[in-house]
Amino acid sequence: MLVQFANWVQGELACSPALAKIVGILLAAVPLATVFALCFAFTTWLERKGLARIQNRIGPNRVGPFGLFQPIADGIKMITKEDIVPRSSDHFFHLIAPLLVLVSSMACLAFIPFGLGMTMSPIDTAVVFFFAILGMNTLAVFLAGWASRNKYSLLGGMRAVAQMVSYEIPLVLSAVTVVMMVGSLDTREIVGAQVVEGWATSENSGLRFLGQIAGWHVFTPWGFAGFIIFFIAALAETNRSPFDLPEAESEIIAGYVTEYSGFKFALFFLGEYIGAFAVLGLAITLFLGGWNGPNFQPWWSSDPHALLIPGFVWFFFKMFVLMAVLIWIRGTLPRLRVDQLMSFAWKFLLPLALVNVFVAGFLFHVAKEDRVWASVAAFVFLYLVAKGLSRMNQSDAPAPRKYHFAE
Amino acid sequence: MTIAFYVFASVALLGAILAVQVTNLVRAVFGLLLFFGALAGLFLLLMAEFLAAVQILVYVGAVGILMLFAIMLTQRVTGDDRRGGGSRGGFWGFLLAIATFCFVLLPVLRDAHLHEQSATGASLTTKLLGERLMDPYALTLEVTALLLTAALLGAIVVAKGTSEDGEGEENE
Repeated sequence: MLVQFANWVQGELACSPALAKIVGILLAAVPLATVFALCFAFTTWLERKGLARIQNRIGPNRVGPFGLFQPIADGIKMITKEDIVPRSSDHFFHLIAPLLVLVSSMACLAFIPFGLGMTMSPIDTAVVFFFAILGMNTLAVFLAGWASRNKYSLLGGMRAVAQMVSYEIPLVLSAVTVVMMVGSLDTREIVGAQVVEGWATSENSGLRFLGQIAGWHVFTPWGFAGFIIFFIAALAETNRSPFDLPEAESEIIAGYVTEYSGFKFALFFLGEYIGAFAVLGLAITLFLGGWNGPNFQPWWSSDPHALLIPGFVWFFFKMFVLMAVLIWIRGTLPRLRVDQLMSFAWKFLLPLALVNVFVAGFLFHVAKEDRVWASVAAFVFLYLVAKGLSRMNQSDAPAPRKYHFAE
Repeated sequence: MTIAFYVFASVALLGAILAVQVTNLVRAVFGLLLFFGALAGLFLLLMAEFLAAVQILVYVGAVGILMLFAIMLTQRVTGDDRRGGGSRGGFWGFLLAIATFCFVLLPVLRDAHLHEQSATGASLTTKLLGERLMDPYALTLEVTALLLTAALLGAIVVAKGTSEDGEGEENE
């Protein structure tokens, strides 16, 4: 619908190409910014409600029905709050850091295909660009910690850099398997590869129903392992619990956001959530079939390609399901220790991701008729590898800590 | 296109000047990162999107973080260091820059055949780049990989120091 509207506007403005270009960019960017800001507002409400339920509380219930307008009240509060900048802080970078977080997270969204023809920036190398821009988040968080001139902030920033750099490697390696199997860095082609060709266009509506799901990469051995690795690494990459060490309130007050107040803090909050949306969006694109979902042919249409439920509905449905899982994890798991965090990334996730790349390469060359057996064998193999790695890591119990400087 | 070029070029120059002139180390690193980012923009203008992505990924993402890490590991974490920032030997540096321009850049510029390219012409696709890397330049790639592996192993050996426990689980 939006795509048709955009095309219609483009047609109307064909007389002045420069104007058409600007309007086209705005038409792509403005819905993205508004929709995801609304998603953010809804998610904060969902998170508060969910966490409250997990902890036997009620959660926000005063503003609006079911407390649904709580995010708006929060927004007004954030804007009207005083913006405190520490005197010794680096004023310019103190201002730039929250903006950089938000901008880099928002830019990541440009590469996610939300539906057929609904990619804002349809380019060849979308996956590489996504990770490149996601890496800027790390910089911004460090910048915030450094510019605040606060010990806790600096510690939080350093933790963030160490954590994000470590977890970026398994994140990228698990995405590499998908890129290898599809043979493209284009997110649209990756989504397209997750539809079973023969089934999705067949006459039988049941088969067509299945064809939209059966091809998802998460149902293959490498995709399954890859999805789990990607999801865990994504939690760490977006500073979500249980990997929220950079802003651990019980240890380092609030880490890099200690010295932020008012609207700048809100920007951090927004940037973090939009970053989470972007990474989850990439997870959906890579492993969960993108905008594909079980679908029917509408009864009034004779076109076999027509779908009753638009693609973006499925996309946002999946995104909110994953977001709910994030909230669930946050309500359930305690925070990791720093050494556990590091050894988990380097001694468990990274080897597993590497093995997964090899498994994917092996399956790529298996003949079609042997694929079922090979897949079963690969599942068993990956399970054994994961088991073995966790066994190997169990043995090195944390040695009594040696204090070098505290004596 | 031309406007974009001038914007990126001036941002790159600004970043480079900041990186050299600012006394605060962390700020200087960010100046350098600005320069790298503007360079990525220039690559984009040359229709080399993959190169631009890699430029951001490697230089802004990895090299910049590495520098910040190095600063973090020193005592002067805040980056304030007014000492040793003087520009001694500026004359020789200037001379070297002039010499580089005259003897390296100018001959190259004179010999290069910059034929007119259409702005949206056949750009180097990622697939082609991958095939090139795997076919004619495979040996170069392997040698680079070997070098990097050796560097990684060396880094582990250095980092492990004298203690003999623990296995070096590290991969590229």
